[in-house]
Amino acid sequence: MDGASYQRFPKIKIREMKDDYVKFELRETDASMANALRRVMLVEVPTIAIDLVEIEVNSSVLNDEFISHRLGLIPLTSERAMNMRFSRDCDACDGDGQCEFCSVEFHLRAKCMTDQTLDVTSKDLISSDHTVVPVDFSDSAGFDSSEQRGIIIVKLRRGQELRLRAIARKGIGKDHAKWSPAATVTFMYEPEILINEDLMESLTLDEKRSFVESSPTKVFDINPHTHQVTVVDAEAYTYDEEVLKKAESMGKPGLVEICPKEDSFIFTVESTGVIKASQLVLNAIDILKRKLDAVRLSEDTVEADDQFGELGAHMRGG
Amino acid sequence: MNAPDRYERFVVPEGIKKVSYERDTKIMNAASFTIEREDHTIGNIVRMQLHRDENVLFAGYKLPHPLQYKIIVRIHTTVQSSPMQAYNQAINDLDKELDHLRNAFEAEVARHSRDY
Repeated sequence: MDGASYQRFPKIKIREMKDDYVKFELRETDASMANALRRVMLVEVPTIAIDLVEIEVNSSVLNDEFISHRLGLIPLTSERAMNMRFSRDCDACDGDGQCEFCSVEFHLRAKCMTDQTLDVTSKDLISSDHTVVPVDFSDSAGFDSSEQRGIIIVKLRRGQELRLRAIARKGIGKDHAKWSPAATVTFMYEPEILINEDLMESLTLDEKRSFVESSPTKVFDINPHTHQVTVVDAEAYTYDEEVLKKAESMGKPGLVEICPKEDSFIFTVESTGVIKASQLVLNAIDILKRKLDAVRLSEDTVEADDQFGELGAHMRGG
Repeated sequence: MNAPDRYERFVVPEGIKKVSYERDTKIMNAASFTIEREDHTIGNIVRMQLHRDENVLFAGYKLPHPLQYKIIVRIHTTVQSSPMQAYNQAINDLDKELDHLRNAFEAEVARHSRDY
């Protein structure tokens, strides 16, 4: 390659990080990169979810398909997913759940023997792989940890029984939303808000108050001593333009100027709990790199074109 | 009953090339790349990266139809470059950008988990 490089060196700053939530700033790149990352996080980062269900006994009130669908939607811990195989590319098996490289088997046995309704939950699913288990939300949701709380699959009354075998596979959100690791991924342009101080000082205190209150989110505030209008939280601005309309109606256009910084983004990533939010971002970067690698021109295309080029030059010369 | 398999949206069928290249017959240094089973995710970043190259006179992509799972990237360059060279350069630059991004994010995660 002799062409000059037009590479960028984006900057990242994490503002807040929890297991299932991360908020960060992405700078010095453009919206196409931010959007590509968002799209990859939503539908192309692989996770594990139940995909095949064999029902042995089902005398519950829900039909087999209904229960299978509910099982598919249960989030399973998916740290392993990046190193697993898709069962359609797995050559060690035919995807029937016997193969450790592409599937994980689950069993569920529940029968109600009492007069009290029995809740069958995700906690009743027995996994064949201790790294792939239903996500435990008990402490994060603030419930008492001694209390057994999973995701309810079905309720049984006396005498009803549910017995099944399920196979979980690796997949991506493009195939079915149950494989999406992301609850929400959003980014916004960082707003830059400039107040025209001279024009602002020409307002009375009441006018300033009504201007500050015209914003549906708390972006501006008035200093109680100097009565100066200041920007308290530029990022609270939702690009609703209410303050601009207000300034217009007060006969003071240009009172504030708001422009999005086109190379700065604020991302919020929420994971469903199957992988950590920070890991989700890293996986998305890896997947995007892999995708780019896959769209490189193959050797034979380049060769075919070289021959074509010679032929073309020959024809032009002759 | 006759619904196509869901994976047809993202698995390249056997015997079909992921990327095919077609030169423009009338204009020098113009060509289209047809990329199978890709969408706006790849199309838009490649297009924007090509716009940064000053030898690229035109770069655009289209998704011809939502049920045809392919994109077409069209590139027109000056005589100093070629569509193929510009395309390869764009992918290399994006690849390096993502390498940088990964390292930057990992460093931030490490810094953040140490500080808090």
